Amino acid sequence: MAPLRRLLDKVAPLFEEGGKWEKLYPLYEAADSFLYTPGKKTDGAVHVRDGMDIKRLMVTVVIALLPCTIWAMINTGWQQMVADTAHAEAVSLGLKSSWMTALGLGAWAFLPVYAVTIAVGGMLEGVFATVRKHEINEGFLVTSLLFPLTLPPDIPLWMVGVGIAFGVVIGKEVFGGTGMNVLNPALTGRIFLFFAYPSYLSGSVWRILPAEGAVDGMTGATALGDLVGHGDVSQLGYSWADYFYGLVPGSMGETSVLCCLLGAAFLIFTKVGSWRIMLSSVLGMVGMTLLLNALSGSGSTPAIQGYLAMGPEWHFVLGSFAFGTVFMATDPVSAAQTDTGRWIYGALIGALTPLVRVINPAYPEGVMLAIIFMNVFAPTIDYYVVKSNIKRREVRLGVQ
Amino acid sequence: MNKATKKILVDPLHVQNPITLQVLGICSALAVTTKVETALVMSAALTFVLVLSNVSISLLRNKIPGSVRIIAQLSIIASLVVVADQLLQAFLFDVAKEISVFVTLIITNCIVMGRAEAFAMQNPPGKSALDGLSNSLGYSWVLIAVGLFRELLGSGKILGYTVLESSTEGGWYVSNGLMVLSPSAFFLIGLIIWVQRALSPEMNEES
Amino acid sequence: MEFSNKYIFSFALLLCLICSLAVSFVHVSMRDMQVANAEADQKSQVLQVAGILEPGVKLTGEEIAAYFEEIDELVVSRETGAVIEDGDFAQDPRSVAKTPEGGVDAPEVHSKATGVRRLANELRAFNVRVEDHECLVLEIYGNGLWSTLLGYIALSPDTKEVRGITYYAHKETPGLGGEVDNPKWKAQWKGKRALDDDGEVLVEVVKGPAMDLEREIDGLSGATITSRGVDSMLKLWLGDDGYGPFLKAQRGAL
Repeated sequence: MAPLRRLLDKVAPLFEEGGKWEKLYPLYEAADSFLYTPGKKTDGAVHVRDGMDIKRLMVTVVIALLPCTIWAMINTGWQQMVADTAHAEAVSLGLKSSWMTALGLGAWAFLPVYAVTIAVGGMLEGVFATVRKHEINEGFLVTSLLFPLTLPPDIPLWMVGVGIAFGVVIGKEVFGGTGMNVLNPALTGRIFLFFAYPSYLSGSVWRILPAEGAVDGMTGATALGDLVGHGDVSQLGYSWADYFYGLVPGSMGETSVLCCLLGAAFLIFTKVGSWRIMLSSVLGMVGMTLLLNALSGSGSTPAIQGYLAMGPEWHFVLGSFAFGTVFMATDPVSAAQTDTGRWIYGALIGALTPLVRVINPAYPEGVMLAIIFMNVFAPTIDYYVVKSNIKRREVRLGVQ
Repeated sequence: MNKATKKILVDPLHVQNPITLQVLGICSALAVTTKVETALVMSAALTFVLVLSNVSISLLRNKIPGSVRIIAQLSIIASLVVVADQLLQAFLFDVAKEISVFVTLIITNCIVMGRAEAFAMQNPPGKSALDGLSNSLGYSWVLIAVGLFRELLGSGKILGYTVLESSTEGGWYVSNGLMVLSPSAFFLIGLIIWVQRALSPEMNEES
Repeated sequence: MEFSNKYIFSFALLLCLICSLAVSFVHVSMRDMQVANAEADQKSQVLQVAGILEPGVKLTGEEIAAYFEEIDELVVSRETGAVIEDGDFAQDPRSVAKTPEGGVDAPEVHSKATGVRRLANELRAFNVRVEDHECLVLEIYGNGLWSTLLGYIALSPDTKEVRGITYYAHKETPGLGGEVDNPKWKAQWKGKRALDDDGEVLVEVVKGPAMDLEREIDGLSGATITSRGVDSMLKLWLGDDGYGPFLKAQRGAL
């Protein structure tokens, strides 16, 4: 490692004030601090409000995402193998013995998407950091991993680039960069793609390579899209356990609830993710689902009645509810910052999710819309929490 | 051209733009900008109403009693709007069918009332006409720019002529569905404001 | 400047008078043109669905009138299917249906599926006799996801084949349900089997890609509700509660 350190030290004067490439200092700084612990502390108005530094926080989230990422590749590859008769033999052996093949196939789908995200997003981060003279933030490591995990495997690569560009520029940089953003950048990019290219993101998905002799229905809608049509979980073709473990078609990183729970445990253990948001989101979802269950008789068609009656355990495992709750809703910048605020924020995300899913058939997946909606309200929630706190203390002190 | 006249003419185009600085007339800017054609027609309708309302209110400015000022301005504006709408329905039916409801909403467009109250009530007809024209142009260029992007990116066309052949019709361009929805106008206007303020920092509010 | 009350009142009165005169004058003088425009617009929709007019092409009022020399505007009884000779073609069945004497409640299967609660007693149809484009054009409407879709469907004179479909007003999601306007999707309809000899509706919008190419239409990708709306609409308007009796009479007449 020493030669690398020496190289960085050697070129450092070029980038420091008065150096030849002074303007490009953020790029040097990024390379240096990704590789080595920098000698100085984060200064200025960063969004972490405790002693931990922003870099360690972001790396923790990346580690928490690893199970989902690895599973994303295995499952993507496996779904491809199931759909494609060329792999019939490997499929018949079961996932346990042919998971390597699946991982290889899945990586072939996931890595290009990830690479495009890093390249386009990283370039834009670099441009803004250079123009605005701030450091390139480690936050992008998280954004760039979250974003591809929310995409279907067959997404055209140019779309990935457009999406992350929108997420970084409109979701973050227009507000002034990391720490100032109201919305979660990865989610902003995902939602942009959802509205811009709906037939690629919410209609039929799944199939990286054109498969010969593919099983019928593999290009059909995802579970949530399907439920709008018939409202019957027994017609989905997969069991509850399949959805829990994540051996189902869907966006790459979201399918496995188990992997999300592993990530959640790590985030809570390291105190990086708020357990309050995660728990209240689940509670809100259960509450709203039970309410919808009670109203199920009022649906106008059997399909709507069936969907209204679907239990909370299904809402928990279908779509991206778990992924969104664990990794998106807890984003420290765009979530509520006060503890009471977090309870309210999480509960509303949880409650809105089944509501959007069931009541509005145009938007099969409610969780991303619920989170982005609550992102917008998070500062308002905090404002009122802080205000009521001040008021209570004033009353206690007898000022009022 | 003297300095004052020039200010009347130029300011509303950029540093005092009715949409991007004063944030007026946003409703129609969202609703009629899916296509350049509708944006053009809407701009023409607003120009018609704004110039004529400014001139007629300016002519009457010493006759209008203060107590019924607003309602008198409103009657004049409303009549002009109805006339504009009727003309469109007679001569440009295809476009009128799509934007008629927004043309009638020019009545509530704050730009028109705003210019009447802020300018035409104090200034002679000539100047008022100029003020009406420059404000309409300030409104129009934003509308047309937004319309240009939305039509090009949303359906690959400009003024109905195919520029980027869309994939649903056998071409290569995948239309961006967001551009057809109203929120995209917000994003585009936001980006225009961003560029404007980066160019002219004096447009920023003092913090 | 202080004004007397008398001045204020007379000023207001005069202003209102001038304004209302101006507005009425414009309205009256433009009225004929506007009515003609609206009519031409509606008629060119009919010409489009019959395949006479390419979408986007505009015709002058005379050209449209010339085509309509060979197009009969029919008012038909929904119940018997007979053509009502003295029927008023200007009456819109959608609004007439809401009056107690003009319509009846739609059967529940249809009102739930299409959102059409009332059915008019008298419906409108066009008998197109233009050479090489002979067909019957029927009015169809019903709910999609966000809005009511209004359109026309054209059938061959023997009612066995679909000649075309078009929606002239809807507010479905662009890119999903809005694809009902997609020329490629609409082109599929041409030549599909519409009705069998007993008047059963054969043409169907399915979920996903069509398998039976003789009578199935691809569902719109990602737009389950809109596709289902279009399908329910066909079942209503081509069926016995819609134009069924009229179509039967047409088959019998051939």
